[in-house]
Amino acid sequence: MSAIPADPNVTAVSATPRTETNYLNADWSIKSWLLTGDHKRIGILYLVTVSFFFFLGSIAAGLIRYELTAPAGFILESETYNKVFSAHGIIMVFLFLIVAIPAILGNFLLPLMIGARDMAFPRLNLLSWYLFMIGGACIMGGMINGGVDSGWTFYVPYSSMYANSNVTMVLTGIFIAGFSSITTGINFIVTTHKMRAPGMTWFRLPLMVWALYATGVVIILGTPVVAVTLLCIIFERVFHLPIFSAELGGDPVLFQHLFWFYSHPAVYIMILPAFGVQSELIANFARKRVFGYHLIAFSSLAIAGLGFLVWGHHMFISSESMYQGVVFSLISFLVAIPSAIKVFNWTATLYKGNIRLQTPMIYALGFIGLFTIGGLTGLFLGCLGTDVHLTNTYFIVAHFHYVMVGGAVTAFLGGLHYWWPKMTGRLYPESIAKWNAVLVFIGFNLTFFPQFIVGFMGMPRRYHYYYFAPEFQPYHIMSTLGSTVLALSFIIPGLYLTRSLTKGAKASANPWGAHGLEWETSSPPPTSNFLQIPVVLDEVYDFDPVTEHEQDKAAQALEVPSYLSNEAKSIESEKEKR
Amino acid sequence: MLSVPLLLGNMLWLMFLLIVTWWASTQNFGNVIINNVVAMLIATVKAVFVIWIFMGVMHASKLAKIWVVTGFGVLFLMFGILGDYATRQYEPVSGWETNVPNNGGSAFPREWPPQKKPEQVGENFRPRG
Amino acid sequence: MAAIASDHGHGHGHDEALHHQFEDMEQQNDSYIVGMWTFLVTEVMFFGALFLIYTLYRSMYQMDFFLAHEALNVQMGMINTFVLLFSSFTVAMSVRYAQLQKKWGVLSMLAITQVCAGAFMVVKYFEYQEKFGHHLYPGPGFGSHPEYLHGATPNFAQLYFGLYFGMTGLHGLHVLIGMIVIGYLMAKWWRNSPMVTKDYIPTELVGLYWHFVDLVWIFLFPLMYLMPKP
Repeated sequence: MSAIPADPNVTAVSATPRTETNYLNADWSIKSWLLTGDHKRIGILYLVTVSFFFFLGSIAAGLIRYELTAPAGFILESETYNKVFSAHGIIMVFLFLIVAIPAILGNFLLPLMIGARDMAFPRLNLLSWYLFMIGGACIMGGMINGGVDSGWTFYVPYSSMYANSNVTMVLTGIFIAGFSSITTGINFIVTTHKMRAPGMTWFRLPLMVWALYATGVVIILGTPVVAVTLLCIIFERVFHLPIFSAELGGDPVLFQHLFWFYSHPAVYIMILPAFGVQSELIANFARKRVFGYHLIAFSSLAIAGLGFLVWGHHMFISSESMYQGVVFSLISFLVAIPSAIKVFNWTATLYKGNIRLQTPMIYALGFIGLFTIGGLTGLFLGCLGTDVHLTNTYFIVAHFHYVMVGGAVTAFLGGLHYWWPKMTGRLYPESIAKWNAVLVFIGFNLTFFPQFIVGFMGMPRRYHYYYFAPEFQPYHIMSTLGSTVLALSFIIPGLYLTRSLTKGAKASANPWGAHGLEWETSSPPPTSNFLQIPVVLDEVYDFDPVTEHEQDKAAQALEVPSYLSNEAKSIESEKEKR
Repeated sequence: MLSVPLLLGNMLWLMFLLIVTWWASTQNFGNVIINNVVAMLIATVKAVFVIWIFMGVMHASKLAKIWVVTGFGVLFLMFGILGDYATRQYEPVSGWETNVPNNGGSAFPREWPPQKKPEQVGENFRPRG
Repeated sequence: MAAIASDHGHGHGHDEALHHQFEDMEQQNDSYIVGMWTFLVTEVMFFGALFLIYTLYRSMYQMDFFLAHEALNVQMGMINTFVLLFSSFTVAMSVRYAQLQKKWGVLSMLAITQVCAGAFMVVKYFEYQEKFGHHLYPGPGFGSHPEYLHGATPNFAQLYFGLYFGMTGLHGLHVLIGMIVIGYLMAKWWRNSPMVTKDYIPTELVGLYWHFVDLVWIFLFPLMYLMPKP
């Protein structure tokens, strides 16, 4: 890091040599991986398993898209189609989105970013991964056994009385995966409160840490509710304890209330870490301090808090009281404000910044646009009058895919590429990656934008045929074409990232010239994270415009290739000065 | 550290409150709402003593105290779900009058709280088929 | 960011109970207590949702729930509540002995707690046995002896008993888990394992869990057993 003076009396942490022993090669045995307490290894374990589940969910998505190219359905029967979209939803929500950024990037980065040696509870962290595996195995067992066709929302009385028996297995899996989520949340909260390095006050934290902390709070307060709600369905099915049974006087809408009380905050579990990644990417690739640090930090907490007050907007047409609906609609509009504050602040950070269009930045810029579209369309859905027409159509499908795929998955890919050198010690091929990022953007828009239109025109969701409206077909075909491009653009990173593990160039400690404690240690880090625990003196995004400008000029003078690390440029420029 | 007299005293006080709970349930303080409020108040007082003394929140860090308050606060928030049911009867949608037999096929009584005398409870029963 | 290295090595002159990721015992103890409270908050939300369902249905069907609850044995419920309160006291005493590192104090108090928990489960077993005998378990055979329903409509009584068995069953499961964990803790103390003798926190965490179980019962008992007449 060029900001540290070369004082021989201070052991500059950035001069940490690339140690031969890092967390990856410290011990190659399987036992050391399966019984590890090291948060970095657990992050890698999650990466492998979550990628596997993402792949399975994508196959289901592909089946859905191909089925919908013909108005009368041609590869799947109705029952099977129901099982396929349920599988897609369950796997993608519970086994990918809730887990991906928090458990992979969060587990890996949180202790590094705050200057700790490990999470507060390493063994609990490992338990979290095992619970995730067991839960995932139960869910996949249920899928293999025939799948469930109740949708990922498991509305009663269908799921409690009439659906097939795999519901119990799948719900058990989701219940267990929920506990995996809870243990991760406990770790995040306690680690952030208790394990910060000396001098790391709350307002010197990277915004990713704020986001992960808010995510932890949401997980703790929301997940148990859905756990017990799904347990009630298991009670009804297995133990004959009627809880939502309308025949006996119960209320099925109560299930919806309790389910959405979690599932709405759940979408904030999916997007808050993505916001955190986004802040990191924008700051470091615009080489500028994040505009409105305090606002972004507080807005993460505001989203976490307000997100608990809006669950009813999923139930506007479910015989929910109109007066409740009005309240939920109002608060839904309010919860858009903190998200908008973030988008404005990122844009302001970009203004007059020194923008480096490397792969993570392309993903980050794509995020801003796609998330904004997704968020704005959410407002149409939050408005009672328009929601009556748009709900349960493809408009909703497009809305949530814009925020979840265009938002969370884009940020996940961006973060993965940004921290890939740190996690693996290898550089991925930048030129392929850059074009792939553009391909993701194109494929994504081609897939989901037509869905807004066709949804507005009336195409219902969860239908596998639309022979009553064959004019929808061109839109569906365009969407399927886009999904093929998107699938390709997800496969390509899988390939080049895996290849870079062995064939990629070795990365230095800070290939991006970025700011943050995680860049102060070697790539990959040693098992104990830091050779010496740093003492933090200043806030994290302390980009100095003068230094940045000098570095740029020096890099230009040397004609250093544009994709080479900024740190290499700074080292070159310092050599030049001496 | 908690002293033995404090713990013992707390337990005896809680047992006394348990007797009070039982006694309060045999009384009628006016209408049913007040009865329930009294019962829940006594239970809450007991809970506060368990949390404050037995669970050691008395000398725990501020963070632990904040968590306790937040946890029960969000629980309270979740009870806002009941607001849906409380406000349904005020909906001005014509055709959902409460005199419709069998509540128009709904399992849910349109009147809230149900103003029924005990022997009329059977009206809420929706016949099968 | 501007950061300098501290000459803060780790592992210098502290007791063996300190785990590697912590700097000192105070940080470790605080972290464990905060972590346990975080877990207990999740348990609060877990049981809280069930209490919400119960509140809703009870306010919808007040008379039926009142009539159905008369099938419950209030004396057994009172015994259970006293037993749990006493066990809460003994587990708090065991935490105190753990802080004083008095092995036999801890073991005796935990043993009494186990006995109380066992008594709770035994009483619960008798209660359930009575209900099954009277065909009060929801399902096809429910209400075949209508005198045990005390005049409640069978359907709404099924809702009541569904919630009764669900909530007390889940609570009983937590008591069982607590018994297993306390047993494990006792085994550790018996063997003088430094994990518990040098560090009172594991005992305190188990104590917190047990107090929470007691807390749930404090609310469950008046709500289910001591209903005022509507």
